[in-house]
Amino acid sequence: MSTLVIKDLCAEVEGKPILKGVNLTISKGETVALLGPNGHGKSTLLNVLMGHPKYKVTKGEVLLDGKNILEMSTDERSKLGLFLGMQNPSEVPGVINSDFLRAAINEHNDKPVSTYQFYKLLDNATKEVKMPFDLATRGLNEGFSGGEKKRNEILQLILLNPEIAFLDEIDSGLDVDALQIVADVINKLKAQGMGFLVISHYARLYDLIKPTRAVVMINGRIAVDAGPEVANRIDKHGYEWIKTELGIEVAKEEKDMNTVSIGSCAVKESIK
Amino acid sequence: MKELLLDNISNNFVVDKNENFFINKFDGAKDIQITLNENVESVLSLLSLSGYEGNINIKISKDSRLEIYYADFAKNVTKTKVNISLEKGAKVIFHLASLTVENSNKLFTVSVDHDAVNTYSLIDNYGVVKGNGKLVFDGISYIKNGSVKSKTRQSAKIMVFDEKSIGIAKPILKIDENDIEASHGAVVGKISDEHLFYLMSRGLSEEKAKILITYGYLKPIMNGFDENIQATIEKLIEGKM
Repeated sequence: MSTLVIKDLCAEVEGKPILKGVNLTISKGETVALLGPNGHGKSTLLNVLMGHPKYKVTKGEVLLDGKNILEMSTDERSKLGLFLGMQNPSEVPGVINSDFLRAAINEHNDKPVSTYQFYKLLDNATKEVKMPFDLATRGLNEGFSGGEKKRNEILQLILLNPEIAFLDEIDSGLDVDALQIVADVINKLKAQGMGFLVISHYARLYDLIKPTRAVVMINGRIAVDAGPEVANRIDKHGYEWIKTELGIEVAKEEKDMNTVSIGSCAVKESIK
Repeated sequence: MKELLLDNISNNFVVDKNENFFINKFDGAKDIQITLNENVESVLSLLSLSGYEGNINIKISKDSRLEIYYADFAKNVTKTKVNISLEKGAKVIFHLASLTVENSNKLFTVSVDHDAVNTYSLIDNYGVVKGNGKLVFDGISYIKNGSVKSKTRQSAKIMVFDEKSIGIAKPILKIDENDIEASHGAVVGKISDEHLFYLMSRGLSEEKAKILITYGYLKPIMNGFDENIQATIEKLIEGKM
């Protein structure tokens, strides 16, 4: 059974520390809700786990079944069984969605899939996420609505069938029906043993996928690692109780002040 | 699609009916002169593997329309000049896709003279530069005095792959008349880290991701070629030739 072990992970972006010693273990078959206020490092953690070039790891290790993935390139991590469903999937002009999907599937298989096999896989997966088949033949996420982009992420999740999937606000931009479709797919894959680490700001998704654990990220660390009921508590009461019960001061999201505050003559400065 | 064969003495072609043409052997060819007679619609597709150093002079007569697809995959140093003149009501659409690799240095100058009223030109150039390659797109649209109601548009996009890669776009609009439309846009930039990360997060190696992105970028040129040539271009982009 695959297990991902994160030990004392520290990472920064452009010299600014974001992750300050994350410790977390996720096993295949678990569904872990990742909660926390804005700006405390949730998305950073998922991007660092997948090897985004913007983030620099300064300390710690991440082991997937004993192998340190931090020494691997992003594509190697994918082939090892990790997947990141992105918050804002890129629009890549000119790259046809189905060409990309086929190339991705082939990277995960020993033998390239035949045209017929690929068509069947794609046909089944698009039906499962109720995505019009023609979206698969268009440019990758090009001109897709927010909801279509998220369905395309879930389509890729189905086709690549990872060991552990990280989902970053996969529910944002989805209407009620689409959310149910996404939740159904997650539940099906859960039942097949896939592991999940899921960021969401809304209890609705968690109500549908029923996490096995909930962890809360505060100030770049995992401050709470508890049962799934924590997700409901945060939905109802916010994060204040963490300060009163655990004595952790929750840092406010830092935003640099604008260097100028008025329009016209300062426009050039303010759009920098 | 009829192939135009070039030689090193004279290359004069006259198009007097609706017909499409193809050139893919440029070796040592002298200047090329193509004249479209009046009321003709034609497509001219060019595939350059060895590079072409010279002038392609194109005259488009009254109310004729020419669409040009120029796919350049040469690996050497070239200076190619395309001079187009437009008579009354004539239209030209020029598409260029250039893959410029290590040790290549290429200059493409596309100049369009709008000699009469109601003329139209679109120059649409795409380039990818790798290694220490250098690619320059010069575009000159000249709307002459008296050419009212004419329109010109220049677009140049160059993607540079490496730190040493150089891409330059120099659009020039020379306008001697009012009551016309003229615009240009140029983008030179490196491949997006976000796009690469996205593709690599699905298991594609950096190299494969770059091929897919390059292919997507240069693909619009495919529309000007038949299936055999499309397959050749695909292999060229993948570096298999």
